[in-house]
Amino acid sequence: MLDFLSDQKASICGGSHLSRREFLQVGTLSAIGLSLPQYLAAKQTHVKPGNDEKACIMIFNLGGPSHVDLWDMKPDAPREIRGPFKPIRTKSPDIDISEILPLHAKVADKFSLVRSVHHDGAAVHDAGWQMLQTGRRFTGGVQTPHAGAVASHLMGRKSDLPPFVVLPELMGRGGGNLPNGQAGGFLGKAHDPFALMADPSKKNFKVPDLLPPDQIGASRLDRRKSMREIVDQTVRSFETSEDARLLDDNFHAAFRIMTSEQARKAFDLEKEPLKVRERYGMTRFGQCCLLARRLVEHGVRFVTINTFLTVFGETTWDIHGSKPFTSIDGMKNVVCPLYDQAYSALLEDLHERGMLDDTMVTCLSEFGRTPKVNPAGGRDHWPQCFTASFAGGGVLGGRVIGKSDPIGGFPAERPVDPGGIVATIFHGLGFDHESHLPGPSGRPFPLVDFGKEPIRELF
Amino acid sequence: MRKEIGGMNIFRFLSFVCLLGLTGVLGAAGIRTVPSEVELSGSAARQLLLIVSEEQGASTGDLKDAKLTSSDSSIVTVGKGNVLIPKGNGKATVSADHNGLSTSVAVTVSDMEKPVQWSFRNHVLPILAKQGCNMGACHGALAGKGGFRLSLRGYDPVTDHYNITRDARGRRVEKAAPARSLLLTKPTMAVAHKGGKRLVADSPDYHVLADWIRQGAPAPSDTDATLEELRVLPERVVIKPGQSHRLVVLARYSDGRIEDVTLHAKYTSTDATVAEVDEGTGEVSVIGYGDGAVTVWFSSQVVIARVTSPFPNQIPESVYSASAKANFIDDLVLDQLQRLNLKPSPRATDDVFVRRAYLDAIGTLPTSVETLAFLNDTSPDKRARLVDHLLARSEFVDYWAYRWADLFLVNGKLLRPDAVKAYYEWLRGEIAKNTPWDEIARQVVTAKGDSMKNGAVNFYSVHQDPETMAENVSQAFMSLAINCAKCHNHPLEKWTNDQYYSFANLFSRVRAKGWGGDARNGDGVRTLFVEGRGDLIQPRTGRPQPPAPLDAPPLDSGLAKDRREYLADWLTSPDNTYFTKAIVNRVWASFFGIGIVNPVDDLRVSNPPSNEPLMNALGDYLVANRYDLKTLMRAIMMSETYQRSADALPENKDESKHFSRYYPRRLMAEVLHDAIAGVTDVPADFSKVVLTDGSFQDTKFYPKGTRALQLFDSSVKSYFLKTFGRNERAITCECERSNIPSMVQVLHLANGDMLNGRLSDKDCSLMGSLTADGVKVDQIIDETYLRCLSRYPTERERRGLLQVFEDTPPDERREGVEDLLWALMTSREFLFQH
Repeated sequence: MLDFLSDQKASICGGSHLSRREFLQVGTLSAIGLSLPQYLAAKQTHVKPGNDEKACIMIFNLGGPSHVDLWDMKPDAPREIRGPFKPIRTKSPDIDISEILPLHAKVADKFSLVRSVHHDGAAVHDAGWQMLQTGRRFTGGVQTPHAGAVASHLMGRKSDLPPFVVLPELMGRGGGNLPNGQAGGFLGKAHDPFALMADPSKKNFKVPDLLPPDQIGASRLDRRKSMREIVDQTVRSFETSEDARLLDDNFHAAFRIMTSEQARKAFDLEKEPLKVRERYGMTRFGQCCLLARRLVEHGVRFVTINTFLTVFGETTWDIHGSKPFTSIDGMKNVVCPLYDQAYSALLEDLHERGMLDDTMVTCLSEFGRTPKVNPAGGRDHWPQCFTASFAGGGVLGGRVIGKSDPIGGFPAERPVDPGGIVATIFHGLGFDHESHLPGPSGRPFPLVDFGKEPIRELF
Repeated sequence: MRKEIGGMNIFRFLSFVCLLGLTGVLGAAGIRTVPSEVELSGSAARQLLLIVSEEQGASTGDLKDAKLTSSDSSIVTVGKGNVLIPKGNGKATVSADHNGLSTSVAVTVSDMEKPVQWSFRNHVLPILAKQGCNMGACHGALAGKGGFRLSLRGYDPVTDHYNITRDARGRRVEKAAPARSLLLTKPTMAVAHKGGKRLVADSPDYHVLADWIRQGAPAPSDTDATLEELRVLPERVVIKPGQSHRLVVLARYSDGRIEDVTLHAKYTSTDATVAEVDEGTGEVSVIGYGDGAVTVWFSSQVVIARVTSPFPNQIPESVYSASAKANFIDDLVLDQLQRLNLKPSPRATDDVFVRRAYLDAIGTLPTSVETLAFLNDTSPDKRARLVDHLLARSEFVDYWAYRWADLFLVNGKLLRPDAVKAYYEWLRGEIAKNTPWDEIARQVVTAKGDSMKNGAVNFYSVHQDPETMAENVSQAFMSLAINCAKCHNHPLEKWTNDQYYSFANLFSRVRAKGWGGDARNGDGVRTLFVEGRGDLIQPRTGRPQPPAPLDAPPLDSGLAKDRREYLADWLTSPDNTYFTKAIVNRVWASFFGIGIVNPVDDLRVSNPPSNEPLMNALGDYLVANRYDLKTLMRAIMMSETYQRSADALPENKDESKHFSRYYPRRLMAEVLHDAIAGVTDVPADFSKVVLTDGSFQDTKFYPKGTRALQLFDSSVKSYFLKTFGRNERAITCECERSNIPSMVQVLHLANGDMLNGRLSDKDCSLMGSLTADGVKVDQIIDETYLRCLSRYPTERERRGLLQVFEDTPPDERREGVEDLLWALMTSREFLFQH
């Protein structure tokens, strides 16, 4: 008899260990003519051995930063293209960067830029969110998983903490009514990220409800647990409901995290010296970057930080220049300073702690911005060409990959699409990007679409 | 029943069907040709001919190895891949043989003497669309690509023609030497093309483009034949995983010509787990079980072909004939289950039904007294009486006012508090009167006057320009997202850019005085009136489009009458099936957790219903009952389909959209909130609203005891409601609501104040009565089970819990009861509808 309710792995087929979820997945294998041993063999080839230390921090720059004003400047282009800012020299001879990112210049030896990213989706925020985070556009009703959900599926949990965490909250809506890709997709909601739902820069920051109330000690918690187990076993129909199974999994994960000393420590920013906290900046984004480092230290595989929660009613990278969006001054005076400080602190801190080699930090966005400044003095959506960055996790810093045309309008050399970006992340995590996931209806589904390759020059 | 429904479909397409004889006469023994009649007009005409086996109006196999012979090869011959090629004017017969079965098709060839004249609109643009030249990623991007810009999928033929023939100093077409035209050298990669190879030199498409250039690259004109109807054949295919089937796509033009456009249509599978489709040829491969569809797009029209792959179960016919049927819903659901080899689950027990009915109809749990009254009632019609009782309760009004307020964006982040109240009270008042849905829609669409006196006017305080008014009326009442068509023809739909501006022009004369729209300041009062003049300009042409509701005939733009009256007439007409289906699907989804169409508010043609006859019949039923939603709800709740158990059978466990059983789902945020507050008798305190900038403001709207389902709007501060995914009402979209369980929710239930705070509340009257002297543990268990789960504990549960209480020190009785309630209210049975 398999014990479905325990967190322990059930023993089956002479020593292979399957989690309950895997066991349920195996049930669908016969539909595709794959036997259990074949499935297990297939599964084992996903992750290259010796990569258990690998982790990824994805900074998602909601709004779409202006590549021409920041990372891919065009000082020789006409005034209406080059915009108001000037490039400055950096620690890397190959990288020039905008004067409004002065701290980036000091860590330019640690990150590399890909200046030829583009996608062919609609120029609306949600389309790009979906494509950059999952490597694909959703078609045929198939929602592809976030790269972090793939990590959660392939690497599993390393500690009491969930393998995939989103800080500070899940993305809001983008106006295009499309799914934003910050979910487990066809891998199942069990691989949805754990979202913090709080602002770590707030005074007395705590993860909401991480711990039971004070009056519930260990013995009461045990009593509650055993009563709940008695109550929760009666309704049969829940075994065929994905949501009901998920809730069950969530409960087990929740019990684990709420009784875990490790989890308590990981989320406790008070454990950081004030100097360290201030180095990241006492902003929501800054403290999220710091928390991301702590989470990775404590075994989280993949952290996605949403720089902003939505493009509406916030000062973001979405610099249309007119209200209710952000102006170019808003970017210069509000967004860039907090971003510059936190990002540079994160790279330096990871480096000083010797974590950078195993922790990839990638900064992505849904698109760039129009090469030409618009009449409102801002720039509009532009998925045809933009810049992404990679650092750590085996990536060599100080390089520029790809090139845009003289106005930053289209890639001129080595175009990279969302499939290539996600393949690069998978490569950094040590996955074989040519292997398969259990797709919709249990069919094998390639990690990235056929022909998508990691950017090998980065490594 | 099935024949009647089939008949309805046929009726709809009668003209076209007669012309082609598409339903056809069965061949001698079950094979037939597709299409069943062929007209080839002009020497360039071609027709792909399929031979299919047929059962009950669906093709059950594409007989690719059937042998075809022409009765007269001077009139028509059979080319490679069973493509018919015209040779001379006249009539002939093409016969087919397959394993001893035979069939034939009459072929008429005409106009062979006429020179072939290619049309920019009807031939050149479809080739560019099929090759992807004018897709969003390429030249169809707003900015074009490489200096060459085309309209997205060819919605603007006039500009496209100009850009192809005149722009770039005319180098794109060389009339004297077509092969040197960039239009041909680029896509064939004879010269460098960043978009890669899109066209094979010397292919049929290549020659069409070359011939059109040679003919002088004629421009599109108003006298061009226009596409009147698109058809895909067969309409229904029933095959097994591993099998494939080709499709034939026919375009009928206004000059009567029918062209085979199979190779120029664009294909997508609506359910990639059931079927895949070859983007080039449209050949469908089935890979899973269930119902799927292929969407076919050609020249801005969309049609679908249904693909069915029955589950590999063996179920005797008697299962279906013996199944109880309460009304038409059961007939139509069982019909489909039978087609798909799925077994219906049996009826749910009374305790399951009473809980389900309360939660779905009025959003509250039954009290233990109500549950017991129902369980102890022995009359055979007790379920019917319960349904009638629920539909008459005041909580019914709260619940449905709340649900529909999602649609109308009753939201304090968009409106001032008094306006929120006026808006909500108008809506609640109409629900209380059981105002028919068409009347509610009319009140919204034609609203005018003072927004405090006529709450419906606030719809126009939320949506203040003609475009957003049009988009939101369309989304709320027809579940059609037309906003894509604002900038270009809808890429997945038949809606064109012109239709969008015609529709929006219906609102161009709506004006308002007063409050401007700042949700943080002002009195919030807007007075809406309609001017006698003014039109919305279609930016592409610089002229107004004639005001028209989507595909309806336009209104005389000179009329001074409120154009919205005309819109309301059209919108709520029984002929507007979008209107009916939109509300039917919303109501259905509210009771079943999923719609017949999913997402619930996405009724585009390319997103077909999982059970079309059922959708049509429910729509007809609602129209026949004058849009009385309660009548519809009663029919749904009384159906055996709704009353089925959620327990899966081996023969239906793999399906999740055909209603073979009830699908468990997490309670919606507000319902769960009220259930916890209700069980514990500790109401919530709703005293703050959140403003757009994230700051809080006090509100006095909600006295102690207000339930979440009685809140006027979504801006009321509540971590619980936010975490459990209430609809934030920022945009008209069901996608704003989420019932997906997450770990954050679990942590909040387990450790948060919502539950723990109530259980340890010294004023919690439930705790008081349960822990009073003399109450036995047995009684405590019974009462808590009835309150939380609407049932008695099983013997196993009772034994287990008694044991836990026995192990609990006597002075921890209260804590023990708290822990029992905690266990019950964090159990899935409590958190879920089932």
